[in-house]
Amino acid sequence: MTPDRNELQTEIRNRGLAMTVDEAERLHGIFGRMPSPLEFHLFDIMWSEHCSYKSSRKLLKTLPTRASQVVIGPGEDAGVVRFCTHQGTDYDIVVAHESHNHPSQVLPVEGAATGVGGIVRDVYCMGADVIGSLDLLRFGDPLGRYGERCRGIARGVVEGIWQYGNALGVPNLGGDTEFHPGYDDNCLVNVVALGIVRHDRVVHSYVPVEARQEPYVFILTGKPTDDTGFGGATFASADLDGELGMKSVQVADPFLKRILAQANLDVLDYLFETGVAFGFKDLGAGGIACVTSEMAAHGGLGIHVNLDDVPVSIPGLPPEVAACSETQERFGFAVPAKVAGGVLAIYNEKYELPRLFPGARAAVIGHFTQDPVYRVTHCGTEAACAPAEAITEGVFYDRPHAPAEVSIPDPVELPCSPGKDIPEMLLSVGGCSRGAVWSYYDSEVRGATVLRPGEADSCVILPVPGCPAGLAVSGDGNPWYGELDPFLGGAHAVAEAVRNVVSVGAVPLCATDCLNYGSPESPAVMHQFHRGIEGIADACRHLGFVEPGEPLPIVSGNVSFYNQSSSGRSIPPSPIVAVFGRIDDCSTAVDMVLKKPGNIIVLLGHRHPEFGGSLYYRKVLGHAGGRVPLFRGPLEAEMARWVIGKVRSREVSGSHDISTGGLALSAAEMVLASTGLGIALNAGADPVQLYSETPGYLLEMDPSCEGSLPGFAEVVGRVTHDGMLSGNGWSVDIQGIRERWADLLASIVWREEGV
Amino acid sequence: MKPRVAVVRFPGSNCEYETARALDACGMQGVIFNWNELSGAAGSGSCAWVLPGGFSFQDRVRAGAVAARERIMDVVYGDAVSGKPVLGICNGAQILVESGLVPGWRPGAVEASLSGNLAPGRTGYLSRWVFLRAVRGGVDKCPWLTDAGEAPIPLPIAHAEGRFVFRPADEAQALEMSVLRYCSPEGAPALDWPLNPNGSSFGAAGIMNPGGNVLAMMPHPERALNLHHVPPNLPGPWGELRRNRGPVSDPGPGASFFTGLARYLEVR
Repeated sequence: MTPDRNELQTEIRNRGLAMTVDEAERLHGIFGRMPSPLEFHLFDIMWSEHCSYKSSRKLLKTLPTRASQVVIGPGEDAGVVRFCTHQGTDYDIVVAHESHNHPSQVLPVEGAATGVGGIVRDVYCMGADVIGSLDLLRFGDPLGRYGERCRGIARGVVEGIWQYGNALGVPNLGGDTEFHPGYDDNCLVNVVALGIVRHDRVVHSYVPVEARQEPYVFILTGKPTDDTGFGGATFASADLDGELGMKSVQVADPFLKRILAQANLDVLDYLFETGVAFGFKDLGAGGIACVTSEMAAHGGLGIHVNLDDVPVSIPGLPPEVAACSETQERFGFAVPAKVAGGVLAIYNEKYELPRLFPGARAAVIGHFTQDPVYRVTHCGTEAACAPAEAITEGVFYDRPHAPAEVSIPDPVELPCSPGKDIPEMLLSVGGCSRGAVWSYYDSEVRGATVLRPGEADSCVILPVPGCPAGLAVSGDGNPWYGELDPFLGGAHAVAEAVRNVVSVGAVPLCATDCLNYGSPESPAVMHQFHRGIEGIADACRHLGFVEPGEPLPIVSGNVSFYNQSSSGRSIPPSPIVAVFGRIDDCSTAVDMVLKKPGNIIVLLGHRHPEFGGSLYYRKVLGHAGGRVPLFRGPLEAEMARWVIGKVRSREVSGSHDISTGGLALSAAEMVLASTGLGIALNAGADPVQLYSETPGYLLEMDPSCEGSLPGFAEVVGRVTHDGMLSGNGWSVDIQGIRERWADLLASIVWREEGV
Repeated sequence: MKPRVAVVRFPGSNCEYETARALDACGMQGVIFNWNELSGAAGSGSCAWVLPGGFSFQDRVRAGAVAARERIMDVVYGDAVSGKPVLGICNGAQILVESGLVPGWRPGAVEASLSGNLAPGRTGYLSRWVFLRAVRGGVDKCPWLTDAGEAPIPLPIAHAEGRFVFRPADEAQALEMSVLRYCSPEGAPALDWPLNPNGSSFGAAGIMNPGGNVLAMMPHPERALNLHHVPPNLPGPWGELRRNRGPVSDPGPGASFFTGLARYLEVR
């Protein structure tokens, strides 16, 4: 029976679906009838870009994801990687990375809070305890044409992050914050969460094979279901147009999550002690409908969900709302029926969920079936009935791509007066301290933080109490590079995050990525996307350090398309990468604070005239263009190995990588991070030496190391007593601008002084 | 046997594990009890109580107000009145204020409040390291301050409501109870921003009860247990030590609060 396309079009419009008429036609074909409202919404979510990766799947497969240390790569809720062995027990880290861009643009506080709430769930449901999170934030120009809105969004996002993360008790391990007019209409809020789990206690997110032998039930726990976030996944996959979406933003509750996280740990202990096989998954996009269908389909079974058994806070929800709303703070377990009572008792009695939050409780709401059919009933009638596999199969598009690159040549003159340029760059929105942002975040809860944001290139924590192994984490992505060269934007996102982790002395173990782009329906955007992935893959292949010949594996990530305004203007290509590394003995970790006058400053990576996207071009010359620094894979790897070795042998006393602002700003930042010491560089007013953003490192070392430096290293200065940054014929009074540098962002974004 | 110290987890507490670890590391045994494990906590033979940081009951009504009315606080209250050491850290301090245990000159009556941070041009949560000093009267009286000495102690704060406020009429006795006060890295009293990070009266970072056995403090000693917790750019001797030795697990500036209790329990 061929459906009437007009009739399908009407269904799509009336239900506010995002699917195309072709997709609706295909759906009609699967059922052989007009789908029910719930079926329409379920497939609309599962076929959204957010859930199905329909435009990106083919390319994502080209990323390197395998390496010896990887336990679980992309595919489940989070990546799992071997970390350490302590007192005979093996521990893995669990990492996840997502975007919450559209909700944060519309409702910054709630959007950002839910971003944190969502990403930590992905880590919890692998059986892990969450031990940190970081945020990679991209806002519009706070001093530009839409400055007022951009500042409001920045304040709201930071507030949402602290209100959620601090209350949840997850230390915030920094991240980065960039401002670029390309985000005026569409901010980016990327969130990373990391956790720790015993290797033998990693939990999967599907019903186990044991469910073929004995009855298994689905337990829903947490917040009572309401209508919030209905259509959230679809919203995340559409253009932003201001009107749409307020109701699609979910409402977060860190208090309930904290109790759930503690209760979950007890439930996991109970299930492991009873020795039963089970599955555990969080409720995110698509709510109950997606979690139940995915758990069943990925286990090769079916499920019968009874919506009448779902604890709700609003009575009379239509079945598609009850099943598909994205009410926060919920988890689902697939457990043998015989232990269900024990699980419910932990939530409902030991942790008193119903007393602590009106309507909250754990309940059995479904039964897994041998028959691989996904069935939902509501008030005694069937609301959905579909082959389970068809739901998760997804759709696929091979989108056309075509380059539309604009090349802006480099300027002819390169004026250079360091005494003026360096303060100008430091006291710019791009070069000033991010301390105002971090001051709202609790970076030390859990009592395991060794290096906080701003003290070193990475934050460092001790994940396992009593074990000396440290975990270093950093996230990066430079929009100015992406804009000028989408390939190098991807490659440098990996390379800079790697350098940040290496700079404290850690060996990079794995990476996650979040690929933020405009509309995949634009061939120019698809080209940027192709090139970004190629750049990431190329860098990962060069920057594996665990086993010879193996890449740095990408173990989890997310694609965020449709980051554009209603006028169709896309954001700059924004691949954002987080890297996680291990320092075997955390007491060797190095920060960027200068330690001793007379020590030498060693530069790794000779400078090249490549200024494209540099802070010098942007701030000093007002020039947007030029040739972006090359990614030199073999050299980058060689430098990293040398740094890791020298930190391990305690020969490095201070370190900072070279990125935005070049050598001059890296040196200035080391002076700013210190307690009164300075740096005298042996450089004149040489723009290539001072401002080129050719990747590299600055290390503080003992003068005795000077004779044994490799070819890629040279001594470029010394640590001084005077707290100045100076060179041949120039100097900058760093102490004199320290306060303004530290306070500038707060004065612009929070206090709105002089704007 | 090592002395046992009960750490109470309220719904929304989030510092209970590191607090228990700090007690363990300083020669005691920290045992975590849930808010509703009344008989377990009461019968545990604990020598002291710690109420850890977090957001108990979502800071509903006022921070600490709901937890102060939980039944387990009756047990804590009884022990406190009978002289057992009780420490409240951050949200734990807010609970002690709301339960009337501090300043406690009329036990059970709420005689102080922990109000929103006051800072020029800034509201909300503030995380940063501060310096504080123990006042001599407190060192003599308060079991938690046995080892505190009089040198500036650097500790991190992380709160949105940490400003101790008293009635004007109570100022004299309130000053006497303010045993921990913010100071400069060199030890000079700090009454104003930024060294006083929240506008607290008298620069009070912690207040005790008249008996000295109950201490409510906003900074987090458990987050400064080891030298590796200390920021590498901190001014003063602790920062110097951190820069020279690197992030090693030697005792940090917060350890004295727990070793002080251990010594007190041993001597007693």
